[in-house]
Amino acid sequence: MTRLRKLNSICPYFALPCHLQRHRISPHKRANQSIIRALIFPLTTAIIVPIRKESSIQLRNDDTIAAIITPPGDGGLGAIRIAGPESLKIVNRVFRPRDRRESALQPFHLYHGYIMDKNGAVIDEVTTVVMPEGRSYTGQLQAEIFCHGGQFVLRRILEEILRQNARPAEPGEFTRRAFLSGRIDLARAEAVADLVASKTTYAYNVARNNLLGRLSQEIDSVRNKIIDLLADIEAAVDYPEEALETAGNQTLETSLREIIGNLKNLIESYRSGRIIKEGFKIAITGRPNAGKSSLFNLLLNQNRAIVASIPGTTRDYLSEWIDLDGLAVQLTDTAGLRGKAGVIEKAGQASAQKIIEESDLVIWLVDITRKGWKKEIPADLKNLSNRIILLLYNKIDKAKRDVKASLKSIDFSVPSFPVSCLTGEGMTDFRRYLKTVTSAEFPDLTDRLVITSERHQVKLKNASRHFKKARLSLKKQLSPELTAFDLRQGLNEIDEITGRVYNEQVLDRIFSRFCIGK
Amino acid sequence: MFVVKHFDFDIIVVGGGHAGVEAALAASRIGKTVALVTMDRARLALMSCNPAIGGLGKSHIVKEVDALGGLMGKAIDATGIQFRRLNLSRGPAVWSTRAQADRIAYNDFVCRFVNADKNISVIEDTAGAFLVENARAIGIETEEGEKIFSRAVIVCSGTFLGGLIHIGEKQIPAGRRGEKAAYKLSQSFRSLGFEVGRLKTGTPPRLDGRTIDFRRCEAQPGDEPVPFFSYTTIPYRLSQIPCHLTYTTDKTKEIILENLHRSPMFSGQIKSRGPRYCPSVEDKIFRFKDKPRHQIFLEPEGNGTDEIYPNGFSTSLPEDVQEKAIRTIIGLEEVQITKPGYAVEYDYCPSHQIKASLETKLVERLFLAGQINGTSGYEEAAGLGIMAGINAALAIDNEPPFILDRATAYIGVMIDDLITHSTTEPYRMFTSRAEYRLGLREDNARDRLFPYARKYNLIPPEDYSCFETLRNQTEATIKSLKRQSLPVSKLDGMARYFSKRETVTLAELLKIPGVSVADIRPYSNGIIDDNEFSAEVMERAAIKIKYDGYIQKQEREVERFRKMEDEVIPPSFSFENLTGLRNEAKEKFVRYRPNSLGQASRIEGVTTGDLAVLSIHIKKFRSSLRT
Repeated sequence: MTRLRKLNSICPYFALPCHLQRHRISPHKRANQSIIRALIFPLTTAIIVPIRKESSIQLRNDDTIAAIITPPGDGGLGAIRIAGPESLKIVNRVFRPRDRRESALQPFHLYHGYIMDKNGAVIDEVTTVVMPEGRSYTGQLQAEIFCHGGQFVLRRILEEILRQNARPAEPGEFTRRAFLSGRIDLARAEAVADLVASKTTYAYNVARNNLLGRLSQEIDSVRNKIIDLLADIEAAVDYPEEALETAGNQTLETSLREIIGNLKNLIESYRSGRIIKEGFKIAITGRPNAGKSSLFNLLLNQNRAIVASIPGTTRDYLSEWIDLDGLAVQLTDTAGLRGKAGVIEKAGQASAQKIIEESDLVIWLVDITRKGWKKEIPADLKNLSNRIILLLYNKIDKAKRDVKASLKSIDFSVPSFPVSCLTGEGMTDFRRYLKTVTSAEFPDLTDRLVITSERHQVKLKNASRHFKKARLSLKKQLSPELTAFDLRQGLNEIDEITGRVYNEQVLDRIFSRFCIGK
Repeated sequence: MFVVKHFDFDIIVVGGGHAGVEAALAASRIGKTVALVTMDRARLALMSCNPAIGGLGKSHIVKEVDALGGLMGKAIDATGIQFRRLNLSRGPAVWSTRAQADRIAYNDFVCRFVNADKNISVIEDTAGAFLVENARAIGIETEEGEKIFSRAVIVCSGTFLGGLIHIGEKQIPAGRRGEKAAYKLSQSFRSLGFEVGRLKTGTPPRLDGRTIDFRRCEAQPGDEPVPFFSYTTIPYRLSQIPCHLTYTTDKTKEIILENLHRSPMFSGQIKSRGPRYCPSVEDKIFRFKDKPRHQIFLEPEGNGTDEIYPNGFSTSLPEDVQEKAIRTIIGLEEVQITKPGYAVEYDYCPSHQIKASLETKLVERLFLAGQINGTSGYEEAAGLGIMAGINAALAIDNEPPFILDRATAYIGVMIDDLITHSTTEPYRMFTSRAEYRLGLREDNARDRLFPYARKYNLIPPEDYSCFETLRNQTEATIKSLKRQSLPVSKLDGMARYFSKRETVTLAELLKIPGVSVADIRPYSNGIIDDNEFSAEVMERAAIKIKYDGYIQKQEREVERFRKMEDEVIPPSFSFENLTGLRNEAKEKFVRYRPNSLGQASRIEGVTTGDLAVLSIHIKKFRSSLRT
């Protein structure tokens, strides 16, 4: 009953995920969104609410689609995937096996041969494999063609395929089909999107774990425990005259406390999850001419920049990604805060404030050659709300000796380092510290389950809230149907993560666990 | 094509059990002429198994039948010998009434009531075949070959279709013990293309109460004041008869386990499924070997009889084993069995073959109600019967069917369950089946169903206006309870809940767990005793106040649910040609032919991915209709 159903969020075809609607969307985000939109289809029966008719997501899944699945750029090998009912026919038409005796292509056999154009000329020498329905990535009849890398060759082959009865696949459409055909659940489909987008080892590990179904398993185990609790409660409600050996409130409460604890860990893991997925965000800020751009460039030059964009980033500011020992770090150079500003700068400052709020670490640069810089610091820091702050005393190369010497004795109860962004002096200490801070956010992930989706976090939080309420009603000895009500509501939230529907399982559990029958 | 012009009756109801009687009466109330075809006119609404009405989930259905003008509540109120309210320690949504009936008096009451109905003709006969023209039912042919024509047919065959009784190794063709079954009608179903399945149910032996030592059992008296079922019943004084509770012993277990191979359930003689919630005693002992003892309720069968129904001892073991085993139960050491227990197998039509109106998908104006749909229980049967009666009458008038959704009634939950999950075991109602349970209570059955009852003329108009007064007074009372406040200092025990407050309203006091109307009466300044229906109004008001926040939350869920239900799948939509769907899902959709996306979502084994695909097809189909 699941039953019992949430719809406020999600559903691409029907509505956009609510958390995506809230924000202004950058082009990069939009690209990612189309994947999510394709994936986060009606999650449970609960949430199918037809809203937008014209959505591009009204993609059918009964035709045949094809796309190049290797990244753009030249490579040794390129691959093209074809999925849908016509896949085999299309391959038969464009592919000529080298061994002419091969009449019918067997599933999961690799064939060597040629892709021919409509005039019978060879486009490329390739290998191809056909996968039957139910045993392919999409769950549909599917074929893959491996040719020589190189965009021209790939495009020529794709053209030939599209000339047959196929259309170009939309972004994420193969995975969407995998979900629609029941091959993977929603949480795993989302993990695919993450996996594809992962830019660093950490992000990859997490996405892979989730793709392997670890998140789904964890969710299922919570779900099972809740259904067990419900079975106890419901059996007692529906069989008041039977002397059933159901668990007492105390036992129920204990297991519920455990479940809430598990959920709490998952919910909190989102902090790491988000950082892993979206990167550790560092805002470089300070008063005008404090040397922000110099620091920005210096850090950029010292680290490998990540060229491809990472979803969820904003591009309003000068912002770049660096790979800091396997961690994606996003550096943002904000407009100068404070100082006299015109209208335009003021607008800039407002969003600078926002950047700061969304950062995991704020570096406050101070120009120590300026007059009165010491007095300004306490007020400036106070303005930075409760972020983790790092003070950098810049321009030590130009500072007077006594100023430099005094740096050791001042303390604003935040970590501070004297540096010169121009000469690079002092940068080693600063960078060492930076690594300590960032890696603290990235614990050993080998056995830890981390959620990387805000949608999951929202659902888990909601579920947890309902379970807490249920626990409270157990404590207060409220009537059991109210406890059951809250448990069921929580269960619905959980089910939305994997896109599952609540059903008769409670009753089944009751019958198998209790001897019942007046 | 030849068209029958002459109809003997508007509606033929086949079978005079709890479903058949409600169906006939409902159709009659709408003004249709009804032929009630039954094998024995003296056995209308006979209680074939336990002599009781109500229980969890079931009593809710009885109250709903009552609010639709049905008979069951009135009959039990008139003939009950013990009434109880179950679950009073829990919340009002799961309060439930249960009554022991005087079996003979109940049956007698119903017979008289039906006989007095001028629109109903009771015909003693056995239906043998359906008369069908252009896939529309136009009557029946009796086993003797006589034809009766009608505009609609309702089948409520109970355990009589192909009934086969098992007692140990013995097999007796019968619908009930000593009553012949109907064998031809199943064939007629099959030849029309219906899938016919087989189910099993069972009943315990009946005992001679004079040979029971009740002193060794625990007495269970009825409740006072008597909690009657029907809103029409004027409370009367009733001297109630107690039930008794006793237990099986180690010896019982030993004897039954020793003789398990002689039970047709275990020997393989019976292959059909029985209800898990009402297992035979051998099944209970076998499956729950660790349990040292099982409860047995000794229920009197009525006034002026010593017969006792041992609830919990349903069995199909051979008679000698039944006797040996039952005498190991505390207090039953000397007991005499008057009738042996037995299992009965019967034919049913798996319920994916009916629509929400209970009309079959294959044959128009053929309606199925009761055990033929795979349900079990008098109350479930009555609920289906009344709906079939109303819908058959509406179909004749070419009116749209009367369908209750899951958020409106337990009857709606039951029918929706049936049409989305073809049952393979007898279906029984539980409150946990209703996801909007907090809103589906005994106390508000009339709030939920009276508007329909009035619309279809199922109740006298004065009943409705009387109810409106009650409802208005309830609302007014809730308002004054929310308004009237008093200083916290005046409270005694309850003050601790409001330590930081100065004043508190009566409604807030009522919200405290465990606080009842009686507890706040001293502070109420007369509001509580101030109106015509004081007791009932106060109870209704208190329930609404206590559930306040929860009901609001649930209403939001109901809204979402209804949105999905409103995503109607057009009748002309073809499930056969769906592409891009998993085979399993497609088969399910073809089998169940859901009429809304919501309904599709509840079909077992359907995934969200399947729904997404289906939904795309529906959209496309709709836009193709428009162009």
